[in-house]
Amino acid sequence: MITLKKVEKNYRRGAEEVRALRGIDLEIEAGEFTAVVGPSGAGKTTLLHILGCLDLPSRGELYFDGARVDKMRESELVTLRRTKIGFIFQQFYLIPGLSVVDNIALPLMFSKSQGKKDRIEELAQTVGLGERLHHVPSQLSGGEMQRTAIARALVNDPEVILADEPTGNLDSTNSEKIFDILHKLHQKGLTVIMITHNPELAQRANRTISIKDGMIA
Amino acid sequence: MSGMLKLSVQNLLRHRTRSFLTMLGIAAAVGVLFSVFSFNRGFEEGLAKEMQATGLHFMVAPSGCAHEVAALVLHGAVTPNYLDTGVLEEIKNADGVSLATPILVAQLPNPDQQRIDLIYGVETDLLPEIKPGWEITGEIPNGTHEILLGYNVAEHADIKPGAEFSYPNMDTVFTVSGIIGQTSSQDDAFVYMPIATAQDLMDRPNGATAIGAKVDTPERLGTIINNLEEQVPGIQIVTMGQVMNSVANVAASAKSLSLAIALVALIIGAVGVMNSILMAVFERSQEIGMMRAIGASRWNIFQIIMKETTILTIVGGVAGIAVAMLGARLIESFVRQIMPFVPTGDMLRFDLGLALACVAFALVVGLLAGLYPAWKASRINPIEAIKG
Ligand SMILES: Nc1ncnc2c1ncn2[C@@H]1O[C@H](COP(=O)(O)OP(=O)(O)OP(=O)(O)O)[C@@H](O)[C@H]1O
Ligand SMILES: [Mg+2]
Repeated sequence: MITLKKVEKNYRRGAEEVRALRGIDLEIEAGEFTAVVGPSGAGKTTLLHILGCLDLPSRGELYFDGARVDKMRESELVTLRRTKIGFIFQQFYLIPGLSVVDNIALPLMFSKSQGKKDRIEELAQTVGLGERLHHVPSQLSGGEMQRTAIARALVNDPEVILADEPTGNLDSTNSEKIFDILHKLHQKGLTVIMITHNPELAQRANRTISIKDGMIA
Repeated sequence: MSGMLKLSVQNLLRHRTRSFLTMLGIAAAVGVLFSVFSFNRGFEEGLAKEMQATGLHFMVAPSGCAHEVAALVLHGAVTPNYLDTGVLEEIKNADGVSLATPILVAQLPNPDQQRIDLIYGVETDLLPEIKPGWEITGEIPNGTHEILLGYNVAEHADIKPGAEFSYPNMDTVFTVSGIIGQTSSQDDAFVYMPIATAQDLMDRPNGATAIGAKVDTPERLGTIINNLEEQVPGIQIVTMGQVMNSVANVAASAKSLSLAIALVALIIGAVGVMNSILMAVFERSQEIGMMRAIGASRWNIFQIIMKETTILTIVGGVAGIAVAMLGARLIESFVRQIMPFVPTGDMLRFDLGLALACVAFALVVGLLAGLYPAWKASRINPIEAIKG
C-alpha cells in the first residue's frame, strides 16, 4: 500500500546538513497495524510524515496505492492527504473555540463536502464522546481531546491512520483507551501506523519497525 | 453558520481585545468617510436652496469683504461696514435692474425671550416680488411700526398676527402684521420690518448692510454688473452665484481635507488589520500546519485568513456608520463652528447607497491588507509548524 525505496531525507540546519533518514526500504501492507519505535531523534516523525505524504523524500521513491508520490504536484498531494490519510498528533491540535462536533467536522470544511450530522455524531460515539458533543476542548480531559482528534482523522474515511505518539501526553488508563480504539480500527480493516515510546503498546501491534540513526535497525 | 465562518469568528474571538481595537480603527475611518460624504451632500443641497430663497440676483456692498456681507444677509452676523443708501437711486435707475432695495440686517438681543432676534430691514412693499414663494398669514407691513415674523420666531414665542411685540428698554411697540409660513430656510429666523424702522432702531439713518437687487434678464447679469461697477465708485457687487461658489469652495477644501484625513485613517486602519491578522497567523502556525496535514490546501488556508479579514472590516465598517449616524449631531455642531457658512437643516442624512459604498471601500482596503498575511499563512510549512 505504501512503498519506500531507498528513501533519504536531509534537513538543512544552518550550514550543517542533518541526515534524518538515510536509505529506508519499507513496504506497508494494507490492513497492517504497525508500531514505529526508536530513540529520540532517530527519524521516526520524519518517516511518518513521508508515509503520510506530508513531506517528500530528498532522495528515493515513494508510492501510495501504486502511485508515485514524490513526483506529484501539490494539488495531487492535497487530494491524497484529504481522501486517504488521517493524522493524529501527540499534542492533539484541536481548535480551541470549536465544539467536539465542529472539531471532528473540520476536515470536511476543506473538501466542501457537507458532513452529515448523523455521521459525525456516530463517529463521536465510536470514540466514546457521545456525551461530550458540544463541549469545547478546554472542557475536555487529555484522553477526550485525543479521542476527538481520532474521530477527526476518521471523518474523511481514510485508508490509513498515522499517529505520532498519540499516547505521549496521556496517563496509562487513557493510553489504553486510545490504543483500544486504534486496535479496533485496525480490526475493521484500516491500516494503522503508530509511533510510540511505550514498548508494551508496541508489542501489541502486529508489526514493529525500529528506527535508529535514520535507518531501520 | 457554515464551518469556515464559524472557524473565522472563533479565531477572532480568541483575541477579543485585539480584534476589537482593530475594528475600532476601521470603524473610525469609515465613520469619518461616511460623514464627509453625507455632510457634503446635505451641504450642497441646503446651500442651493438657501440661495434660491434669498430671491435676489446680486447684492451691492461697501468695498471690503463682499462675501462677508452676503453671508450676513443670509444669517445675520454683525458687520462694521455700512453702505450709504445714497447710491440706491443710481442702482435703481441702472440699465437692466428691475428692483433694488436697501437691506439692513442686525442682531437685536431680546433677553426676555432669552434669544437674539435677527432684524431684517427691507423695503417691505417689494417683498412680494422678492419672495413670491412666501405664504403669509396676515399682511405685509406697511406702517412704520408693523413687522412680519419668520415662522420660527413666531412659533418660538407663540405669536399670532395682530399681537403686539416690543423690546425691553425700547419704547417702540410693534404690531405683528403677518407671519410667514414655514419655508425651511433661513427666512424662518428673521424679523422683517420696513427699512426706515430698522435704521431707526439701529440708529443708522440712511445706513444699509447691502443693497439687494434683481435684474429683468438674469442672462445679462454679467454685463449689468460690469456697467454698474463702472458707474458707481466705492461699491462692490457680489452675485448670489459667486457667494454660492465661494461658500462651496470653502466647503470643498474642508471636504478634501477631511477626506484626506479619512483616507489616512483608513490606511492606518488597514495597517492595523494587517498587523493583527499577521500576529494571529504567527500564533496559530501550529494549528495551520495541522490543518494542512489533515487535508487543507494552501488555498483553503488563504481563504480562512481572508474570511477573518473580511469579517473584521465589515463589522468595523458597519459599526463606523452606526457611530457616525449617532454622532451626526455632534459632528454637525462641530462643523457649524468651523465653517463660516452652513445652511440650515439636517446635513447628515442616512443614505443606504452611500453607507454601502463606504463599507465596500473599507472592505476592499481591508482585503488588500489581508492579502499578505493570508499569503504568509498559506506558505506555512506544515512539517515545521507541527514540530513547533
Ligand atoms: N525541520 C528540520 N530541520 C532540521 N532538522 C530536523 C528537522 N526535522 C527534524 N530534524 C532532525 O532530524 C532528526 C530526526 O528527527 P525526528 O523528529 O524525525 O525524530 P524522532 O525520531 O521523531 O524523535 P522524537 O522521538 O524525539 O520525536 C533529528 O536529528 C532532528 O533534529
Ligand atoms: Mg517525533
